[in-house]
Amino acid sequence: MSAAAKAKTPAEGQAQSQATTSGTNVAPTNPNPKPRWHFGHPHLAGGRGLNWFCVSLFGVITLVAVLAQHLAQYDPVQPAGKAKLPIGSADHLLGTDHIGRDLLSRIIIGLQTSWLVALAIVALSLVAGTVVGVIAGTVGGWVDKVLMRFTEVFQSLPTLLVAMAVAMALGHGIKNTMIAILVVWWPYYARIIRGEVRAIASRPHVEAARQAGASWPRVMLFHIIPGMVPTAIITASLDVGSTVLTLATLSFMGLGREVPFPELGADSANTLDQLSTAWWIPVLPGMAVMVLTLVANLTGDAVRRLLAGRR
Amino acid sequence: MVWVRRIGLRLASLLAVLLALTILLFFLQEVAHFDPVAATLGANASPEAIAAERARLGLDAPVLQRYFIYLGGLLHGDLGTSVRTRHPVAQDIGQFFPASAELVLFAYVLALVLAVAFAASSVLRWPGGAVGRGVMFLLAAAPSFLLGIVGVIVFYSRLGWFPGAGRLGDASQLTDPTGFMTIDALLAGRLDLFGDALHHLLLPALALAVGPALAIGRVLRSALEATTGAEFIKTAQVKGLGEGAILRRHVIRNSLPAPLAMAGLYLGYMFAGVVVVERVFTWPGLGLYMFNSLLKADFQAVAGSILVLGVIYVTSNAIVDVLQTVADPRISFD
Repeated sequence: MSAAAKAKTPAEGQAQSQATTSGTNVAPTNPNPKPRWHFGHPHLAGGRGLNWFCVSLFGVITLVAVLAQHLAQYDPVQPAGKAKLPIGSADHLLGTDHIGRDLLSRIIIGLQTSWLVALAIVALSLVAGTVVGVIAGTVGGWVDKVLMRFTEVFQSLPTLLVAMAVAMALGHGIKNTMIAILVVWWPYYARIIRGEVRAIASRPHVEAARQAGASWPRVMLFHIIPGMVPTAIITASLDVGSTVLTLATLSFMGLGREVPFPELGADSANTLDQLSTAWWIPVLPGMAVMVLTLVANLTGDAVRRLLAGRR
Repeated sequence: MVWVRRIGLRLASLLAVLLALTILLFFLQEVAHFDPVAATLGANASPEAIAAERARLGLDAPVLQRYFIYLGGLLHGDLGTSVRTRHPVAQDIGQFFPASAELVLFAYVLALVLAVAFAASSVLRWPGGAVGRGVMFLLAAAPSFLLGIVGVIVFYSRLGWFPGAGRLGDASQLTDPTGFMTIDALLAGRLDLFGDALHHLLLPALALAVGPALAIGRVLRSALEATTGAEFIKTAQVKGLGEGAILRRHVIRNSLPAPLAMAGLYLGYMFAGVVVVERVFTWPGLGLYMFNSLLKADFQAVAGSILVLGVIYVTSNAIVDVLQTVADPRISFD
């Protein structure tokens, strides 16, 4: 990992390798004095400013999602203007759909559902995974083995398909879809947390606390869980992107909010027949999902870079 | 011989997961209060007919017994009857599966090619590589349905380069023997149909392949970077070994395990993601079948499809695990 600390940009990295290989007058014995591959991690380029910028983007989107009802200019369910107005029209920045509903308002409200439900899923999975992971990691023994086999079985199942099956069994509605995704989402966290807990539990300061007479619950609360927080945050922030995508895909298949209510995936699916005449109607909700995923992924990477030193 | 034991353990775990899948689907059926009798007999059946059917299907038995009846049916290939098509689900799946298999396999090959290009452009510093990788990063954040939709708009509506739906211009020309239009066209000696089938395959396959390509490409890239930075490569260089030999004998073999695992995982994900792509491109495969069944709440059809796809997913992961451990005995399954 030391190579990563030295090269901040690809240009610097190349300059470094050139300086070390061609700086002296020794005749090279290797027929390839400068190999085509280079060491270092230029894709970690950026700097602290970029990281905080990404995190603030995350904050902006979350703010928009929370305040969606106040930010949407029109009622997303009622027709507000002429049908199929294109992007950039006078009163409708993103145009209107085939019924005349304002697309910007629909996307803002839909964004609220997609973003907040995804965050809720990640948070709840983290909590559930932490409970299971901490118990498995600290208690160890057969409890650990049984819990890990259990999570392994869950993790081996195809997440999207199982979520579809559960959502279908429970019935329509966003709450059932959320439960469906939660069912398949938590094992990922449980395994990671359990691994981290085991790593922490083997460290000297935990052993010292135990020898000083601390009980297991106290050790768990004051030593293990605080130590596991950076990894938990990194894992969660990296996971928001795929949660948003999975939620949007399930919504595309009709497993989300009820019909007239705007939701990003469903809006795209229900307006596919407008593709040839008013392409922006199915495309814009999809692009909104893409923006959410991008922000989530960038933030996840930024959080990882920010917290990397603290682990 | 130690790997015989490992393979045995992996197989045991595979069976456990398959069993868990059947238990899960059975449990969901119970939760959904699904009534198979209404599905087969319709809404206007007489009470006697309903009672007879319930007795025949063993529906009044206790839960555990019903599960074993269900399991027994599965092992005989009985996946229930579809409310929507009125055919046995197994028959429907058999009809629609080859189309999905063809799409997924083609997309998978495409994903592997793109992943290698992604990793190579980074490690070998191809000119313009950063732009290509940035584009892929953006595209991979897009949901697959958006990629499909934009693909149809740009390449079909606007440019007219590729067809926007279906598998073949005139689908009645090819039906046997494999159900794979490309292979069937070749077997029938019809190169024009082969080209047409490929033409139809490309856009949906691309939409399906981009996400996995980026994920596999990233893992491949970091594995390559880790390997080329390792001490033993420097030793090989100092030894006087040429670049090509280093690549062949050391870099590639040591970089493979992680991306291979990723690739195995994503084959399974693709079978799940195919549902959305098939909907956008009206590709007549299992995904479209599942989509339409979901719309009509056709539980047996959806559950049966999920079971088949789930079995493929779990089994392919198990095979990849076994191959990995055979290739590199240092890898254990944990």
